[in-house]
Amino acid sequence: MSVTSQVPKGSLNGLFNAKSMAIVGASPNRDKPGNQVIRYAKAMDFDGQIYPVNPTQTAIEGLKCYKNIMDIPGRLDLVVLIVGADECVKIAQEIARRRDEKGDIAGIVVVSGGFSEGGSAKGLAKEKAMLEPLQARGIRVIGPNCLGIADQYSGVNTTFDVPPYLKGGVSVVSQSSAIAASFLTWAKDMELIGLSKFFTVGNMADVGVDEALEFLGEDENTKVIALYMEGIRQGRRFVEVAQKVSQTKPVVAFKSGRTAFGSGAARSHTGAVAGNDKIYDGAFRQAGIIRATTIAEFYYTVCAMGKQPLPRGNRICVLTVIGGPGTICIDALLATGVVEMARLSDNTKAHLRKILAPTAVVGEPQGYVDMTASVTKEMHEEIVKTILADEGVDGLIYLNTPPPFLGDEKLVESFLKAYNFFPEEERKPLLCVFTFGSNVAELRRLFERGGIPTMEFPDVAASVMANMVQYSEWRKFTKKAFLSRFNIFMKGGSNNGL
Amino acid sequence: MGYKKLVKDVLDAGRSHLLEPEAYHVCDEYGITYPQFKYVSNVKDGIDAAKSIGFPVVIKVVSPQIIHKTDAGGIVTGIQSEEQFINAYDTMLDNVRNRVPAAEINGVLVQKAMPKGVEVAVGGLRDPQFGPVVMFGAGGILIEVLQDVSFRLARLDKEEALRQIKDTKIFRILQGVRQNEPCNIEALADLIVHAGNLLVETPEIGELDFNPVLAYPDRCVVVDARIILSSETV
Repeated sequence: MSVTSQVPKGSLNGLFNAKSMAIVGASPNRDKPGNQVIRYAKAMDFDGQIYPVNPTQTAIEGLKCYKNIMDIPGRLDLVVLIVGADECVKIAQEIARRRDEKGDIAGIVVVSGGFSEGGSAKGLAKEKAMLEPLQARGIRVIGPNCLGIADQYSGVNTTFDVPPYLKGGVSVVSQSSAIAASFLTWAKDMELIGLSKFFTVGNMADVGVDEALEFLGEDENTKVIALYMEGIRQGRRFVEVAQKVSQTKPVVAFKSGRTAFGSGAARSHTGAVAGNDKIYDGAFRQAGIIRATTIAEFYYTVCAMGKQPLPRGNRICVLTVIGGPGTICIDALLATGVVEMARLSDNTKAHLRKILAPTAVVGEPQGYVDMTASVTKEMHEEIVKTILADEGVDGLIYLNTPPPFLGDEKLVESFLKAYNFFPEEERKPLLCVFTFGSNVAELRRLFERGGIPTMEFPDVAASVMANMVQYSEWRKFTKKAFLSRFNIFMKGGSNNGL
Repeated sequence: MGYKKLVKDVLDAGRSHLLEPEAYHVCDEYGITYPQFKYVSNVKDGIDAAKSIGFPVVIKVVSPQIIHKTDAGGIVTGIQSEEQFINAYDTMLDNVRNRVPAAEINGVLVQKAMPKGVEVAVGGLRDPQFGPVVMFGAGGILIEVLQDVSFRLARLDKEEALRQIKDTKIFRILQGVRQNEPCNIEALADLIVHAGNLLVETPEIGELDFNPVLAYPDRCVVVDARIILSSETV
């Protein structure tokens, strides 16, 4: 494989760590995106300069307004364009001129649409015309037709849809701004994720998914990457990059357009069964990318992996207070073909039986504990601790319809005591399913703040756990494969790894 | 003759796929095994070939116009004797002439019939996004119905090929179910690796099919090879 990065490393840093940004198309009208961008940029924890640009205004949202890019004093790092496509083409030339004169502007974000996304020759021509003077000068372009970027650590925000967010280790790369913004907004109220970087790529005129992934792979604040994609141009480079990134941090992907369009004109059997999606599937597996098949699974896998350690094996225990959802969870776990039900040790079973009411079911079927409704808060601490301590258990899913008499704080306290009893390197993944949805929002927030992921559906929790198991197996595989390739190399054999 | 020159000659002749004997020639270069065969142009040579290979044999038509031999009536399997051979030879050629009148018949391939094994398929193509990719899956006539297949980007090493095999359902059969002995899965992984190398090293190849590949406890054998050339390279 000979495709390598054509882009000088670190060139996106200038955008995400900008100390000054101009917003061209800034508006005094609070109903316009060009105003919202200013307000969100201001609301961030950003200690740089924000320069609204609008030839008809003197100030917007309390900030001095500039007539054009050239008038902005001092160093300018980032320019956001929210004007018509034709105007963007003109301003690109102005940006190029400023670069030639002052040597600044690392990159631009083009929020505007009206380019290649419609598929018209005219739109494509505009995109090319806008790009040409910028690319010639090494000025990076994100978009067009996107929300742009936001960084919770540097405080840069070019979006009109992502207000300041809880800081954390999740970064989002998306070809759809709507999916990216929906994910964050959906997860916000219950604090299901903490955000590092938000990165929408739009039409990918310059910066594509592969480069975004490579950049986040090297970002120390990013612990897990959520990737929504529709299609890519440089498949091979994408796989090469993803394979490298996946070795240190999980990449969870949702790829739309699954429907096979196996070419009727294919002349071989291989061609007839290929279908674009099957090849993506193989490429994802080869790259160690976790591919989610539903949006719920996609969102929750990211949430869980942002907070929990990887399982060391595939033996999972289901601990429940509620029979039905517990059974659904086991069904879903076993259907993945990836997970086994944990075999609890005799000591664990005996200890659990001693604590629980006689009606409780322990280890029947294997890996399943139904505590029944008579369970108390104190019992939870000891039970969770006992199961997590069992060497035959690699991960735990807990399910409950939280009864009001347990008390939110008490239940959380019990769990956190049990979970934090273990030193960090010995911790195992623990997922909680509270089937009452947003009715138990406060309880879920408390768990989430304690670092324990919560979800509402038992089958989704099972898929999430299976994804974690599979990714953990891939990490072990690449480590082993690396060593064996290295050994072959040392023995003077040939190395035909990807 | 080096296989690269062979491929070039075929393209220069305006043909879009290799004849089966030519495809086996390419296999030789990559250490891909297939059943012993002889390429003949009349029934008398055919009988001599069958006798020297040993019955039972399979006969297949060799024609630049025929890619899917079964559809054209161009295969007869399980030929046990000289008498059966003569009959099968004439019937097959009649069938082919009836079904594909335009087909130019270059000759007939007489090949050793193989014992029953697990039928799998190994293939490859050039994808517009990903370039050369290899496929593994359940083979024979099941391939298009079950679509129990898994892909990887070429090149790949044996470890990755083993992961690819494990993605499929047929893997469970290869492991041995009921009283069946497990198949040599390592040999299949080697075949995938070789197919990947072939595709990467020969940009003229657009698509390739080894289907069926028969998997046995000790080895695997490519029973039919189809190599389709393409003037456009991805």
